[in-house]
Amino acid sequence: MKIATKLGLLFAGMIIVFILLGVTLLVQMKAVSNGYDALLASPVHDIDSARMVQVNFKKEVQEWKDTLLRGYNSKDLATYGKQFHEQEATVREGAVALAGTVQDGEAHKLLTQFIAADDAMSAKYQHAYEVFVAGGADFKSADALVRGQDRAPTDLFDKVVARLDARVQSTITAQQLSVRRNQALALGISGGLLLLLGALGIMTVRSIVKRLAELHAVSERLARADVAGLSIDISGKDEIGEFGESMKGVHAAIEELLQIAEAPAKAAA
Amino acid sequence: MAAKLTNYYEQASKEFGVMGRMKLAMLTKISSEKAAIEADSPDNVKLFEQALFQLRKAA
Repeated sequence: MKIATKLGLLFAGMIIVFILLGVTLLVQMKAVSNGYDALLASPVHDIDSARMVQVNFKKEVQEWKDTLLRGYNSKDLATYGKQFHEQEATVREGAVALAGTVQDGEAHKLLTQFIAADDAMSAKYQHAYEVFVAGGADFKSADALVRGQDRAPTDLFDKVVARLDARVQSTITAQQLSVRRNQALALGISGGLLLLLGALGIMTVRSIVKRLAELHAVSERLARADVAGLSIDISGKDEIGEFGESMKGVHAAIEELLQIAEAPAKAAA
Repeated sequence: MAAKLTNYYEQASKEFGVMGRMKLAMLTKISSEKAAIEADSPDNVKLFEQALFQLRKAA
């Protein structure tokens, strides 16, 4: 193979390696971006929605307490009663929507239990509200009917949040592991290719330089007509090999010339 | 002994003189001294034939 072809192939190889590196980096970036998009689209979205429901549930209980505390005033009763029922509806809507989108089986099961517990609690709160209104703001009787009723749904929803939070953490950990694995893979492949290309380059250059040195030594001896015992062994199908072949012709011609020059002396002896 | 190869050198010397011998050595890459000990193999004979043909053509 010609030296120009070898160097051209080496150069083309380097360009291909750098293109491959660029493509690998782009693919990796896309994979990382997709991974985080998926993380934001599902687990992070779910935990965000769950925390909203959790806050709204606490607001609902707060509105109930405000209703009992200030409901002796008809205007306040109307305001807090309305707000309590609105929060109640918001909590149910949020929980049902979350149950429809959540992908974690255990979280879905807990949400179903929460919705059932919330429904039961709502029925009791409604009854207590009616007792409160009918009893002329008898908060003690109303409170006695629902006291501690919010604890079970609260605990259930805390478990939903904890479960979804754990899922976010595990997804982030898996994503980080995947990124590290991809980085190691990309580094390994690119490093390996660069090492291979570097080794090929060094071998090619060393082969050229070594044979050029041999050629230089031969040409030095031919320049001095020092052909005794000279053996030209520069093989190869490249420019150096061809030059070595030409040198063999020059060598033979010099030998012939020396024989012709030495012939009269040999004949006289 | 390579009688045939030696004969090519004698032929070149007769036809083209010292320059012919030098050119034959250059084209075949085998000096007359080495030709005398080389075998008259078909490859060598062909090589010398072609070299002599080239010399005659260039003359």
